[in-house]
Formats: sequence, structure tokens, C-alpha cells
Amino acid sequence: MKFQDMTFDQVVSALQPQGFPNLNSTNSRPTSPYDEDYNCIAWAAEDTDYWWWPDAMGQKYWPTEVPREETLAAFVRAYGIQGYIERCDATVEQGKQKIAIYTASNGKPTHAARQIPDGWWASKLGQLIDIEHEFAALDGPAYGTVAVILARPGRNGGSEINP
Amino acid sequence: MGASTQSVQLQRQLNELTGYYALPASSRRDPRRDRFRSLAQQWRNETQWLSSTTEVAMNPAYQAIIGMGAEALPMILEDLRQNSGHWFWALKAISNEDPVVPRDRGSIKKMKGAWLQWGQTKGLVRA
Repeated sequence: MKFQDMTFDQVVSALQPQGFPNLNSTNSRPTSPYDEDYNCIAWAAEDTDYWWWPDAMGQKYWPTEVPREETLAAFVRAYGIQGYIERCDATVEQGKQKIAIYTASNGKPTHAARQIPDGWWASKLGQLIDIEHEFAALDGPAYGTVAVILARPGRNGGSEINP
Repeated sequence: MGASTQSVQLQRQLNELTGYYALPASSRRDPRRDRFRSLAQQWRNETQWLSSTTEVAMNPAYQAIIGMGAEALPMILEDLRQNSGHWFWALKAISNEDPVVPRDRGSIKKMKGAWLQWGQTKGLVRA
């Protein structure tokens, strides 16, 4: 069965053995259908029009000001252009928007997520769906773990933290 | 005295060939097409949750499709037209061309449109 035709529970069941041992339908929820037009790196930057990646073939979008290399430093610089320059932890802080960058065991970036007001995180899973999830729900062989969390001043004076 | 094992095998192969060519061309099974479909499905099954364009392209099934060379181009373009997918790395690697203008890099819809236009110009995929 194609991922596009699966229910959320079926997607979760299909992903678990692919390197997402912690993911389940209790610590995550779907928020949008399958969409191959953008990836997690773009989604964390609130861009749904482009697929971001610094691939050597020059196929995908990458900010021209940032080295086109698959390093944590390059990803930190790319989000720095978006205003995410303060290193922080995963707690919810009024007036701050936060993103988390994941790296694999080889140190290469794999994924990014954006904190939402209730303390969960918004992620796009490759070409698949958008989900919201608990902080550690995506930890595992596929995405590795969070290597750095960056913050920027929240929009609208940080009111997005409030209900 | 019965037929030898070799002659039985030859007769079986002849029957298969006769059956194959008795079919209209559009219905014949093409081993290359079957291999492409199998590899494409394997690639999708193994990479759809990945964001890394590099990891997606380095998948062994994807690399095997690149290894098929120019004969894979019509199949890739047809798959791109029908199912979409991130075929751009393979198309560029095989053709050594890239019709995508720099400002459209990462815009999947525009990249798809540019490559299908390229394929139509080359007579590799129907409009």
C-alpha cells in the first residue's frame, strides 16, 4: 500500500521498523496529508514551496549565503538567516520561537522540527505527512537525535505562546 | 526414447518466445521495464521519510536505476509524469543536462515541469 493511501496509524506502523522506534499515535498526531513539495528543513522555516537541502548536485534550494554542505554548522547558519541565532533548550519560553536540528550518528543533519505553543514540535516527514509530536518521538536510527535547538524572538511580541 | 533435457529446455524457450511475440507490442512484458518498476518501488519504500536529497539519491535501488543509463530516461520521465517523485538527481546524472533554472531549484512542481518539457523536446516522454 502506498503511504498516500494509509491511515495515520498505518503510517506510524510502517515507519516504526524503519528507524522510528519511539513513534506512536499517542506521542504524535497528523496535521496535513502527503506532500512532496517541501521537506522538514523548509517546514521548520515555514516554507511550503521549496525543498531545502544542500545537496552536492545543486538540485534543491539552499540559501546562497550559506555553504552548500551537509554539516550542522551550515544548517545553523541557514536558520540564522531566518533569525534563529540563540542557542537554547527545549522548554517553552514566552516570546520565543524555537527550532530543533537533528543529526545522525555520523554528525550529518537529518531533520528539523519547529516548536509549537503547547510544547510539542511540528515536523514534516520527508515527502510524507506533517505531524506534531512530543520532543523525543522521532529519536532513533532514522533521524538520530536533536543536536541543537535555536530560538528567535516570537512574532507578534511572542503572543503565539499564549492561547 | 524421450527427448533430452536440453531439447526440452530449448522447446520451452521457443514456446515462451513464440508466446511473447504473439502478443501485441503494447502487452509484452519488458524485463527492463519490470526491473525499473521494481527498483522504483523499492526506492520509494526505503526513502520517503527522508529529507536528505543525498540519502534519497544514494539509495541502492536509485543508484541501480542510474546505472541503467540512457535506457532508463523514458521510464523515469514517464514515472515522473504519472507519479511525480524526486527523480531530478537521476535525470541529471544520466543525461548530463539540467533544464531547471537556478531560481527554481527546490520547487518540485517547477522542476518536474522543466524536466518533462525537456523530455518532450527530446522525444522521450509524451506530452
